[in-house]
Amino acid sequence: MLTIDGSQGEGGGQILRSALTLSLLTGEPFRIEKIRAGRAKPGLLRQHLAAVKAAVQISGGKAQGVELGSTALTFEPGEVRAGDYGFAIGSAGAASLVFQTVFLPLARQTAASRLTIEGGTHNLAAPPFEFLERAFLPAVRRMGFDATLTLQRHGFYPAGGGKLMAEIGPVRTGPEKFVAEDRGTLLSRNGEAMFANLGVDIARREAGRLQELLALAEGEVKIREVEASGPGNLLWIEIRHEHITDVFTAHGELNVTAEQVAGKVAKQVDKYIESEAAIGAHLADQLLLPLALAGGGRFTTTRPTPHTHSNIAVIEKFLPVEITITDARRGARLIEVSL
Amino acid sequence: MTKANVVIGFLGTTLDVGKWDTRWERWRPTIAVCQQDDFIVDRLELIHDDRSASLARRLIQDINQVSPETKVASVIINLKDPWDFEEVYGALHDFARGRSFDTESENYFVNITTGTHVAQICWFLLAETRHVPAKLLQLSPPKKARGDLTSPMRIIDLDLSRYDRIATRFRAEQRDAASFLKSGIATRNPAFNRMIDRIEQVAINSKAPFLLMGPTGAGKSQLARRIYELKKTRHQIEGPFVDVNCATLRGDTAMSSLFGHVKGAFTGAQAARSGLLKSADGGLLFLDEIGELGPDEQAMILRAIEEKRFLAVGADKETASDFQLVAGTNRDLNEAVRSGHFREDLLARLNLWTFALPALRDRPEDIEPNIDFELDRQARDDGAKITFNKEARLRFTHFATSPDAKWSANFRDLSASITRMATLAPKGRIDEATVGEEIERLKALWSGGRRDAATDILNGVFSDERLARIDLFDQSQLATVIAICRDSASLSAAGRRLFAASRREKTSGNDADRLRKYLARFDLDWATVMAR
Repeated sequence: MLTIDGSQGEGGGQILRSALTLSLLTGEPFRIEKIRAGRAKPGLLRQHLAAVKAAVQISGGKAQGVELGSTALTFEPGEVRAGDYGFAIGSAGAASLVFQTVFLPLARQTAASRLTIEGGTHNLAAPPFEFLERAFLPAVRRMGFDATLTLQRHGFYPAGGGKLMAEIGPVRTGPEKFVAEDRGTLLSRNGEAMFANLGVDIARREAGRLQELLALAEGEVKIREVEASGPGNLLWIEIRHEHITDVFTAHGELNVTAEQVAGKVAKQVDKYIESEAAIGAHLADQLLLPLALAGGGRFTTTRPTPHTHSNIAVIEKFLPVEITITDARRGARLIEVSL
Repeated sequence: MTKANVVIGFLGTTLDVGKWDTRWERWRPTIAVCQQDDFIVDRLELIHDDRSASLARRLIQDINQVSPETKVASVIINLKDPWDFEEVYGALHDFARGRSFDTESENYFVNITTGTHVAQICWFLLAETRHVPAKLLQLSPPKKARGDLTSPMRIIDLDLSRYDRIATRFRAEQRDAASFLKSGIATRNPAFNRMIDRIEQVAINSKAPFLLMGPTGAGKSQLARRIYELKKTRHQIEGPFVDVNCATLRGDTAMSSLFGHVKGAFTGAQAARSGLLKSADGGLLFLDEIGELGPDEQAMILRAIEEKRFLAVGADKETASDFQLVAGTNRDLNEAVRSGHFREDLLARLNLWTFALPALRDRPEDIEPNIDFELDRQARDDGAKITFNKEARLRFTHFATSPDAKWSANFRDLSASITRMATLAPKGRIDEATVGEEIERLKALWSGGRRDAATDILNGVFSDERLARIDLFDQSQLATVIAICRDSASLSAAGRRLFAASRREKTSGNDADRLRKYLARFDLDWATVMAR
């Protein structure tokens, strides 16, 4: 059984989720220790339990130590079965994180699966729906993993009440080797200030400021009011290039002005554009695992995050791959996944 | 298997309200308890009244949304006045009694964040007495100024023994109290130490009478006074300590001394007297040698314990007095009951907490600490430090813990012995010679059955310290002289009997004067000798 140190690198729930995904895919059981060691609230939190339960549910596997505050957990996967699954995760969990935990294993099945995840769809520390739909899924489709996401209702923290549907798989054969060294020419920039149960003014200011900061044309950042239980706000922008599409986001938060939210998005975009890397830091994190499964490949990215490093360590434990990071043009890095 | 978390709490009719979408921007404690990222509510028992039914329905919907793991059960309690302590306590007590708590498979928590302050107090009391075997939950509003939407939650366990620092504090307090009861003497006898720990517990937690059994000099009176002082430091007792030796209360005046009398109750009752029981009101009454009380006094005492009131001599109205009773005896009261000398019902009342103080010879390991205690006391009283030299101490301790040492008057003997050695010690240092002499003195004291009568007589007249300054040589003679005096009508009559032989030979003229001078050598006169 593999043993994983849950305190290494960034040491958050990411290691646990990656391990669950890899275990489901390889059939390899694992034990993770020192989960979130050194945090104010060490051990498993509620949103982590949601991921473990989902992994148990789709594979009929067994997990020990699935308790709040537990700092060690053992997971033995069963056989992943395609099918219809529903997960109710409440507002503390994030639908996208549960989706990511089970997506790759289900996408490898010969039959399609349907997921319904109810709870938070737009949480601070999780990739929002817009990122998954516009950046993550198009990239992984090229590696042979297919899914269609539908957001039936938005669910912002703390009210939750959102609903995310996903149709996953079945597996496609003969994917191309994923290579994204150049992004190619810029095709479009398309942003949105999305809000619920808040004054429209907030969204207007965000859109206006982002337009200003990125020198966008009128109409390149739209405003959209959505239905949701409680208040919520997300500013996002999709940057489409010839070879790749990436999405950059920031949530509206208490005590953060609309202008600051726009500033956060603009900063990520600027960094990405300047670097000439094909893929932004967040998307790069998410692509490592599918790439390792899909037979390798390479891409350029901006400076890797601590998440990237801890993710690489977990992947190399489960799969016979080597992941290297080397310098590329203008401060960018080349990440290569080879078998 | 992990236990399920069950939270019980009032629907907050102020804090938990909200109809519109803006309610999500407000802090609602009952929602917040279901939204903790490190705590899952498996079941919520939501207490509300009929009027709040629609508010409860909406709240339950919202809970389902934020926490699908939580099952919510409505508990209807209709209160006329949620600020009325009696009503709220009664309702919650009924709620607790009317249900079962499956502590094997469920953890219980009471959310005290919602509900009136009166409800909070009632929850405290019910949790503290384990009517509701729950911990308390207290939530506070999110620190929105820091952009934080999470509501901090504290779990408060009223089982104080679970807190290391509090438990340490209690243990220290208990140790202090036990040590206090032992007058700071570091006794080593495990049985004795266990008994003191028990007495400490009972003294702190109970107002019921105590019965201290033990031979004379075992420290009953001292212990009773210490119990009193301990209770007084803890503010459990405010009144005085009244120490009565029942053996001195025989005869006609016993009733009056104990229970008081009204003016003119009997010949000589020129003024009213309130009596010892009344003086002990609010305090502690120590009745030593309770077995010596006459039947009438026993009956009155029983009533005074049970009803906290009694009839003074000649009074037609009862006097009230509430005191803690500690009784002492060196007699086997069960035997006294069998022989008809002691009331069975009174013994039953006294017998709730009975402690048998062991004789000193049964606690040989405690003799050394008590020697040190006596030496310290000497030093305090006389202001001069007295020590043993090494060999002397070894020799005395060896003797004191040997079967030869009878310690028949227990601590009284030990105290007197140390006092004597301290007095005779050259330059404040007790040497082997002094110890050797003392051992002989003690052996003589304990040999022969007559010793006890003589000691009793002398103890009745002298303080331990004064007695220690009288040579053993003189002691037995003095005891005989006092006994003869007490058996005689006057000083002259006693003198005639004491000096009968020399009188016959005409060698002595004034017997009375000779006796007076003899007594004066020991600071005694006729009146002192006769007063007992």
